[in-house]
Amino acid sequence: MKTLKLALLVLAVMFLAAQFVQPARTNPPSDPAHSFQAIAKPTAEAVAVLDRACQDCHSNRTAWPWYSRVAPASWLVARDVNNGRRKLNFSEWRLYGEEMTRIKKGEICEQVKTGKMPPAFYTPLHREARLSPDDIRVLCAGQ
Amino acid sequence: MRNTFISVLIVASLMLLAAGCSQAPPAAVDAAKLKMFSPLPASMTSKDGGISADQVALGRMLYYDTRLSKNQKLSCNSCHDLSKFGVDNDPTSEGHKGQLGDRNSPTVYNAAGHFVQFWDGRAKDVEEQAKGPVLNPVEMAMASEKDVIAVLKSIPEYPAAFKKAFPNDKDPVTYDNFGKAVGAFERGLVTPSRWDKFLAGDQSALTEAEKAGFVAFSDAGCPTCHAGTYLGGNMFQKLGLAKPWTDTSDPGRAKVTKSEADHMMFKVPGLRNIEKTGPYLHNGKTASLAEVIGVMGEYQLGAKLTPQETASIETFLKALTGTIPEEYIKPPALPKSGPKTPKPTETD
Repeated sequence: MKTLKLALLVLAVMFLAAQFVQPARTNPPSDPAHSFQAIAKPTAEAVAVLDRACQDCHSNRTAWPWYSRVAPASWLVARDVNNGRRKLNFSEWRLYGEEMTRIKKGEICEQVKTGKMPPAFYTPLHREARLSPDDIRVLCAGQ
Repeated sequence: MRNTFISVLIVASLMLLAAGCSQAPPAAVDAAKLKMFSPLPASMTSKDGGISADQVALGRMLYYDTRLSKNQKLSCNSCHDLSKFGVDNDPTSEGHKGQLGDRNSPTVYNAAGHFVQFWDGRAKDVEEQAKGPVLNPVEMAMASEKDVIAVLKSIPEYPAAFKKAFPNDKDPVTYDNFGKAVGAFERGLVTPSRWDKFLAGDQSALTEAEKAGFVAFSDAGCPTCHAGTYLGGNMFQKLGLAKPWTDTSDPGRAKVTKSEADHMMFKVPGLRNIEKTGPYLHNGKTASLAEVIGVMGEYQLGAKLTPQETASIETFLKALTGTIPEEYIKPPALPKSGPKTPKPTETD
């Protein structure tokens, strides 16, 4: 019993100490004119799906959830958002030329069609990110 | 009779089995992974319309003509040597009076298809790019456009060649037309490779090791930036995306746009002929292909690639080495200087 108490105390101290290591939760400022929406001119339906299901990890407009302030979840969330933005960032579409725009659009369709995106670990906590067959059709329009 | 039949059957079965063992079924590359890539076109077309054979012929002469440099020793080919995959293999190139440029000379092969030109994308196409180095004081160092035009007009055959290339222009010997002609020539500088045959459906065009290398390249995340026809050349990316790049003396595109958002942004280089176009990166400070693969993994992908992964990716990248169009790049006979063509002076 004593050992259990000690173990719980150690865990509690570690949990509290972990809160001091906070990752940066940034939403870098970006010009709306540089966004996918402004440059690639997707349909309004596609924009609605992207805003609802993708932008938390793939744009600079992340709505950081409450648990992104609590370690160790905060570390995982920050890592996922950083990884997501590196691979595809709807706020930074100014970086892409015409060919890359076509490629990225194709990739978006491929990823949602095959169920690789949104990730399986993400949707249980983000029901709004679940994609219906209609959502997928909208994202794949023209592909 | 029956025994003979059974024997033949057994031998035939064994032969089939042996054949099956010696030819392991080729590992098919997932078609979804290949969707992001396209084979090279026969030539890289211009948005501004077609180009004529006369423009290409003029551009070829101008590309090799050293009289368009102040000391008359340098041409486009000095730093972008067409017999050496369009580069000089130096970290940065020696220009006028041995001065060094501040960035690595990128290859001209397959470059006209890139979405912008120069490491920082400051020229929109090769026609605009070609006009840069001639006037750069550390490169060909001509004093002005007017001086270049004067040299061109002093060489009797050039005005006629310009007229042929640009028949609708009243005064065809212009600096813009110089750029257009060089660009027209550069649009034919393509180096098709076995990779293109593979993309066209020929499974045997790549070895099994090269196909495995492509899978390693794809799984590591390289096509996030290196995709398309040129495996690059279609987007900007920050150098030090996953891990900050320590040498920020060259801020990349920010030098042109003066925008903080463009700090350390560079055009993603194409990977065709990458084996032959080292040393690497904008400053040419990374010597070997294996080294630059590791550096990209660490700083761009945030991953430490294993030696096996690096070697496998390198094997794939070497399959991107294409064939130099020997006939197309043959140095032409250059028109003779006229009495007014300037001679280089000792001080040049």
